[in-house]
Amino acid sequence: MNFLRIFARNLLRGPSTVPFPFGPAWTPARMRGRVQFKLSSCTGCRACEQVCAPGAIRFDKTPEGLRFMMWHNTCVFCGMCEFYCPTDAIHQSDDWHMAHAVGEKYGMAIREVIPYTACTGCGMKTLASAPNPIGVVPPFTPEEVEQQRNQCPACRKKALAERGTPS
Amino acid sequence: MTLLQTLTDSARNLAVRSPWIYRINAGSCNGCDVECATTALIPRYDVERLGCQYCGSPRHADIVLITGPLTAHIKDDVLRVFAEIPDPKVTVAVGVCPISGGIFRESYAVHAQVDQYLPVDVNVPGCPPRPQAIIEGVAQAIAIWRQRI
Repeated sequence: MNFLRIFARNLLRGPSTVPFPFGPAWTPARMRGRVQFKLSSCTGCRACEQVCAPGAIRFDKTPEGLRFMMWHNTCVFCGMCEFYCPTDAIHQSDDWHMAHAVGEKYGMAIREVIPYTACTGCGMKTLASAPNPIGVVPPFTPEEVEQQRNQCPACRKKALAERGTPS
Repeated sequence: MTLLQTLTDSARNLAVRSPWIYRINAGSCNGCDVECATTALIPRYDVERLGCQYCGSPRHADIVLITGPLTAHIKDDVLRVFAEIPDPKVTVAVGVCPISGGIFRESYAVHAQVDQYLPVDVNVPGCPPRPQAIIEGVAQAIAIWRQRI
Protein backbone atom coordinates (compact mmCIF):
# COMPACT_ATOMS: atom_id res chain seq x y z
CA MET A 1 0.00 0.00 0.00
CA ASN A 2 3.07 2.20 -0.04
CA PHE A 3 2.37 3.38 -3.59
CA LEU A 4 -1.00 4.76 -2.46
CA ARG A 5 0.78 6.94 0.09
CA ILE A 6 3.22 8.18 -2.58
CA PHE A 7 0.29 8.72 -4.96
CA ALA A 8 -1.60 10.79 -2.39
CA ARG A 9 1.51 12.80 -1.55
CA ASN A 10 2.19 13.58 -5.21
CA LEU A 11 -1.42 14.64 -5.67
CA LEU A 12 -1.19 17.03 -2.73
CA ARG A 13 2.27 18.46 -3.34
CA GLY A 14 2.27 18.64 -7.13
CA PRO A 15 5.30 18.06 -9.35
CA SER A 16 8.78 18.56 -7.89
CA THR A 17 10.05 20.25 -11.08
CA VAL A 18 11.05 23.86 -10.49
CA PRO A 19 9.00 26.15 -12.77
CA PHE A 20 12.03 28.00 -14.21
CA PRO A 21 12.20 29.37 -16.98
CA PHE A 22 8.40 29.80 -16.87
CA GLY A 23 8.50 31.00 -13.27
CA PRO A 24 10.96 32.14 -10.63
CA ALA A 25 13.81 29.88 -9.50
CA TRP A 26 14.96 29.41 -5.94
CA THR A 27 18.40 30.90 -5.25
CA PRO A 28 20.47 29.88 -2.21
CA ALA A 29 21.25 32.78 0.14
CA ARG A 30 25.02 32.23 -0.15
CA MET A 31 25.01 31.81 -3.93
CA ARG A 32 28.22 33.18 -5.48
CA GLY A 33 27.18 34.87 -8.70
CA ARG A 34 27.88 38.04 -10.65
CA VAL A 35 30.64 40.18 -9.11
CA GLN A 36 29.84 43.71 -7.99
CA PHE A 37 32.60 46.27 -7.60
CA LYS A 38 32.28 49.34 -5.35
CA LEU A 39 34.81 51.87 -6.61
CA SER A 40 34.53 54.19 -3.58
CA SER A 41 35.67 51.41 -1.20
CA CYS A 42 38.60 50.07 -3.24
CA THR A 43 42.01 50.64 -1.65
CA GLY A 44 43.92 49.66 -4.79
CA CYS A 45 45.88 47.02 -2.83
CA ARG A 46 45.51 44.52 -5.73
CA ALA A 47 45.01 41.57 -3.37
CA CYS A 48 42.09 40.36 -5.53
CA GLU A 49 44.35 40.30 -8.59
CA GLN A 50 46.91 38.23 -6.64
CA VAL A 51 44.43 35.59 -5.46
CA CYS A 52 42.36 35.34 -8.67
CA ALA A 53 43.20 31.84 -9.94
CA PRO A 54 41.98 32.18 -13.57
CA GLY A 55 43.26 35.75 -13.88
CA ALA A 56 39.84 37.30 -14.37
CA ILE A 57 40.82 40.43 -12.40
CA ARG A 58 43.46 42.78 -13.75
CA PHE A 59 44.78 46.18 -12.66
CA ASP A 60 46.43 48.47 -15.22
CA LYS A 61 48.12 51.82 -14.78
CA THR A 62 46.56 54.27 -17.22
CA PRO A 63 47.12 58.05 -17.61
CA GLU A 64 43.81 58.64 -15.78
CA GLY A 65 44.52 56.35 -12.84
CA LEU A 66 44.52 52.71 -11.78
CA ARG A 67 42.07 50.77 -13.95
CA PHE A 68 40.24 47.77 -12.48
CA MET A 69 39.04 45.16 -14.98
CA MET A 70 37.09 42.02 -14.16
CA TRP A 71 35.85 39.50 -16.76
CA HIS A 72 32.78 37.42 -15.89
CA ASN A 73 33.53 35.06 -18.76
CA THR A 74 36.83 34.04 -17.11
CA CYS A 75 35.71 34.17 -13.46
CA VAL A 76 35.20 30.78 -11.78
CA PHE A 77 33.16 32.31 -8.91
CA CYS A 78 35.46 30.89 -6.22
CA GLY A 79 34.92 33.87 -3.90
CA MET A 80 38.60 34.39 -3.05
CA CYS A 81 38.54 38.07 -4.13
CA GLU A 82 35.67 38.80 -1.77
CA PHE A 83 37.38 36.85 1.02
CA TYR A 84 40.65 38.77 0.75
CA CYS A 85 39.23 42.27 0.05
CA PRO A 86 40.00 44.42 3.13
CA THR A 87 37.11 46.83 2.53
CA ASP A 88 34.42 44.61 0.90
CA ALA A 89 34.78 46.66 -2.27
CA ILE A 90 34.36 43.45 -4.28
CA HIS A 91 31.25 41.42 -3.58
CA GLN A 92 29.63 38.42 -5.22
CA SER A 93 25.89 38.92 -5.54
CA ASP A 94 23.41 36.06 -5.91
CA ASP A 95 22.62 36.99 -9.53
CA TRP A 96 23.29 33.94 -11.73
CA HIS A 97 21.35 35.06 -14.84
CA MET A 98 24.47 35.34 -16.98
CA ALA A 99 23.62 33.35 -20.12
CA HIS A 100 24.09 35.75 -23.01
CA ALA A 101 24.29 35.85 -26.79
CA VAL A 102 27.84 35.75 -28.06
CA GLY A 103 27.60 39.33 -29.33
CA GLU A 104 27.47 40.58 -25.74
CA LYS A 105 30.62 38.65 -24.84
CA TYR A 106 32.84 41.70 -24.41
CA GLY A 107 30.21 43.53 -22.37
CA MET A 108 30.43 40.93 -19.58
CA ALA A 109 33.13 42.88 -17.75
CA ILE A 110 33.58 45.54 -15.09
CA ARG A 111 35.83 48.44 -16.03
CA GLU A 112 36.40 51.13 -13.40
CA VAL A 113 39.20 53.65 -12.91
CA ILE A 114 40.53 54.84 -9.55
CA PRO A 115 41.52 58.38 -10.59
CA TYR A 116 44.69 60.28 -9.74
CA THR A 117 44.38 63.34 -7.55
CA ALA A 118 46.67 65.92 -5.96
CA CYS A 119 47.50 65.30 -2.29
CA THR A 120 45.89 67.89 -0.01
CA GLY A 121 48.97 67.82 2.25
CA CYS A 122 51.95 68.04 -0.13
CA GLY A 123 50.40 68.39 -3.61
CA MET A 124 51.96 65.17 -4.94
CA LYS A 125 50.07 63.15 -7.59
CA THR A 126 48.47 60.21 -5.82
CA LEU A 127 45.66 57.67 -6.23
CA ALA A 128 42.29 58.70 -4.79
CA SER A 129 41.74 55.26 -3.24
CA ALA A 130 40.10 54.44 0.08
CA PRO A 131 42.52 53.99 3.04
CA ASN A 132 43.30 50.48 4.25
CA PRO A 133 41.30 49.91 7.44
CA ILE A 134 43.31 46.89 8.70
CA GLY A 135 44.79 47.49 12.14
CA VAL A 136 43.24 50.93 12.55
CA VAL A 137 41.75 51.25 16.05
CA PRO A 138 39.24 52.84 16.49
CA PRO A 139 37.95 52.33 12.93
CA PHE A 140 37.88 55.18 10.41
CA THR A 141 34.84 57.43 10.45
CA PRO A 142 33.36 58.25 7.00
CA GLU A 143 34.80 61.79 7.27
CA GLU A 144 38.28 60.40 7.93
CA VAL A 145 37.98 58.08 4.94
CA GLU A 146 37.14 61.03 2.69
CA GLN A 147 40.03 63.04 4.19
CA GLN A 148 42.54 60.21 3.70
CA ARG A 149 41.30 59.51 0.17
CA ASN A 150 42.83 62.76 -1.09
CA GLN A 151 46.22 62.26 0.61
CA CYS A 152 49.43 60.60 -0.57
CA PRO A 153 50.73 57.52 1.35
CA ALA A 154 53.25 59.61 3.36
CA CYS A 155 50.62 62.15 4.43
CA ARG A 156 48.24 59.30 5.30
CA LYS A 157 50.87 57.82 7.62
CA LYS A 158 51.44 61.23 9.19
CA ALA A 159 47.72 61.72 9.78
CA LEU A 160 47.49 58.24 11.34
CA ALA A 161 50.40 59.00 13.67
CA GLU A 162 48.83 62.29 14.75
CA ARG A 163 45.55 60.48 15.31
CA GLY A 164 47.30 58.50 18.02
CA THR A 165 46.45 55.12 19.51
CA PRO A 166 43.83 54.56 22.19
CA SER A 167 45.25 54.24 25.68
CA MET B 1 4.39 23.64 -55.83
CA THR B 2 1.85 24.94 -53.33
CA LEU B 3 1.43 21.43 -51.93
CA LEU B 4 5.22 21.16 -51.48
CA GLN B 5 5.25 24.58 -49.83
CA THR B 6 2.46 23.58 -47.46
CA LEU B 7 4.22 20.33 -46.59
CA THR B 8 7.51 22.14 -45.92
CA ASP B 9 5.76 24.72 -43.77
CA SER B 10 3.92 22.12 -41.70
CA ALA B 11 7.12 20.10 -41.27
CA ARG B 12 8.89 23.25 -40.09
CA ASN B 13 6.08 24.08 -37.66
CA LEU B 14 6.35 20.59 -36.22
CA ALA B 15 10.15 20.71 -36.04
CA VAL B 16 10.44 24.00 -34.15
CA ARG B 17 8.69 22.43 -31.19
CA SER B 18 11.36 19.84 -30.53
CA PRO B 19 15.02 20.67 -31.06
CA TRP B 20 17.36 17.81 -30.17
CA ILE B 21 20.36 18.47 -28.01
CA TYR B 22 23.78 16.97 -28.54
CA ARG B 23 26.61 17.37 -26.06
CA ILE B 24 30.29 17.60 -27.06
CA ASN B 25 32.91 17.18 -24.36
CA ALA B 26 35.93 19.17 -25.59
CA GLY B 27 38.23 18.09 -22.78
CA SER B 28 36.03 19.16 -19.90
CA CYS B 29 36.81 18.32 -16.25
CA ASN B 30 33.33 16.66 -16.16
CA GLY B 31 31.86 19.33 -13.88
CA CYS B 32 29.81 20.95 -16.62
CA ASP B 33 28.88 17.53 -18.02
CA VAL B 34 27.44 16.53 -14.67
CA GLU B 35 25.39 19.73 -14.63
CA CYS B 36 24.22 19.07 -18.21
CA ALA B 37 23.21 15.54 -17.24
CA THR B 38 21.45 16.95 -14.15
CA THR B 39 19.54 19.38 -16.36
CA ALA B 40 18.30 16.53 -18.51
CA LEU B 41 17.83 13.61 -16.16
CA ILE B 42 16.65 14.97 -12.82
CA PRO B 43 12.90 15.71 -12.67
CA ARG B 44 13.64 18.80 -10.60
CA TYR B 45 15.20 20.61 -13.60
CA ASP B 46 13.91 18.61 -16.60
CA VAL B 47 15.02 20.37 -19.78
CA GLU B 48 12.53 18.25 -21.75
CA ARG B 49 9.75 20.64 -20.71
CA LEU B 50 11.16 22.96 -23.40
CA GLY B 51 10.64 20.26 -26.01
CA CYS B 52 14.32 19.30 -26.03
CA GLN B 53 15.71 15.82 -25.98
CA TYR B 54 19.28 14.60 -25.71
CA CYS B 55 20.30 12.49 -28.69
CA GLY B 56 23.21 10.13 -29.14
CA SER B 57 24.18 10.92 -32.70
CA PRO B 58 25.55 14.24 -33.98
CA ARG B 59 23.60 13.73 -37.22
CA HIS B 60 20.29 14.14 -35.34
CA ALA B 61 21.29 17.23 -33.40
CA ASP B 62 19.88 20.76 -33.57
CA ILE B 63 21.40 22.39 -30.50
CA VAL B 64 25.01 21.62 -29.52
CA LEU B 65 26.26 22.05 -25.97
CA ILE B 66 30.06 22.35 -25.84
CA THR B 67 31.89 21.93 -22.54
CA GLY B 68 35.62 22.06 -21.90
CA PRO B 69 38.50 24.21 -23.08
CA LEU B 70 39.17 22.36 -26.38
CA THR B 71 42.34 20.52 -25.43
CA ALA B 72 44.99 19.97 -28.09
CA HIS B 73 44.40 16.20 -27.85
CA ILE B 74 40.66 16.34 -28.62
CA LYS B 75 40.57 19.32 -30.98
CA ASP B 76 40.53 17.46 -34.31
CA ASP B 77 37.84 15.04 -33.10
CA VAL B 78 35.64 17.89 -31.85
CA LEU B 79 35.93 19.72 -35.17
CA ARG B 80 35.10 16.50 -37.07
CA VAL B 81 32.04 15.74 -34.93
CA PHE B 82 30.89 19.36 -35.17
CA ALA B 83 31.13 19.21 -38.97
CA GLU B 84 28.83 16.16 -38.94
CA ILE B 85 26.00 18.12 -37.30
CA PRO B 86 23.58 19.28 -40.01
CA ASP B 87 22.71 22.96 -40.46
CA PRO B 88 20.84 24.86 -39.09
CA LYS B 89 22.42 24.31 -35.69
CA VAL B 90 22.83 26.48 -32.62
CA THR B 91 25.93 26.19 -30.46
CA VAL B 92 25.91 26.83 -26.71
CA ALA B 93 29.20 27.14 -24.83
CA VAL B 94 28.58 25.79 -21.31
CA GLY B 95 30.99 26.91 -18.59
CA VAL B 96 33.84 29.42 -18.69
CA CYS B 97 36.30 26.96 -20.31
CA PRO B 98 34.92 27.06 -23.88
CA ILE B 99 34.20 30.79 -23.59
CA SER B 100 37.61 31.99 -22.45
CA GLY B 101 39.65 29.04 -21.20
CA GLY B 102 38.79 29.78 -17.58
CA ILE B 103 41.30 28.26 -15.18
CA PHE B 104 43.20 26.66 -18.09
CA ARG B 105 43.63 29.92 -19.99
CA GLU B 106 47.09 30.41 -21.51
CA SER B 107 47.96 26.73 -21.07
CA TYR B 108 49.99 25.08 -23.83
CA ALA B 109 47.60 22.13 -23.89
CA VAL B 110 44.32 23.93 -24.65
CA HIS B 111 43.06 25.81 -27.70
CA ALA B 112 40.48 27.98 -25.92
CA GLN B 113 38.50 30.04 -26.85
CA VAL B 114 36.26 27.64 -28.77
CA ASP B 115 34.76 30.46 -30.87
CA GLN B 116 38.07 30.75 -32.70
CA TYR B 117 37.22 27.43 -34.38
CA LEU B 118 33.43 27.01 -34.17
CA PRO B 119 30.56 29.50 -34.56
CA VAL B 120 29.26 29.83 -30.96
CA ASP B 121 25.85 31.50 -30.45
CA VAL B 122 25.13 31.51 -26.71
CA ASN B 123 27.55 31.67 -23.77
CA VAL B 124 26.65 30.31 -20.33
CA PRO B 125 29.40 31.36 -17.90
CA GLY B 126 29.90 29.58 -14.58
CA CYS B 127 32.29 26.99 -13.20
CA PRO B 128 30.11 24.98 -13.53
CA PRO B 129 26.92 26.93 -14.30
CA ARG B 130 23.95 25.87 -12.19
CA PRO B 131 21.29 23.77 -13.96
CA GLN B 132 18.86 26.68 -14.12
CA ALA B 133 21.52 28.77 -15.88
CA ILE B 134 22.00 25.98 -18.46
CA ILE B 135 18.20 25.87 -18.96
CA GLU B 136 18.28 29.65 -19.48
CA GLY B 137 21.01 29.25 -22.10
CA VAL B 138 19.10 26.45 -23.84
CA ALA B 139 15.97 28.65 -23.86
CA GLN B 140 17.96 31.43 -25.58
CA ALA B 141 19.37 28.87 -28.03
CA ILE B 142 15.84 27.65 -28.89
CA ALA B 143 14.80 31.25 -29.61
CA ILE B 144 17.77 31.61 -32.00
CA TRP B 145 17.05 28.21 -33.56
CA ARG B 146 13.42 29.15 -34.31
CA GLN B 147 14.66 32.13 -36.31
CA ARG B 148 17.11 29.98 -38.26
CA ILE B 149 14.94 27.06 -39.27
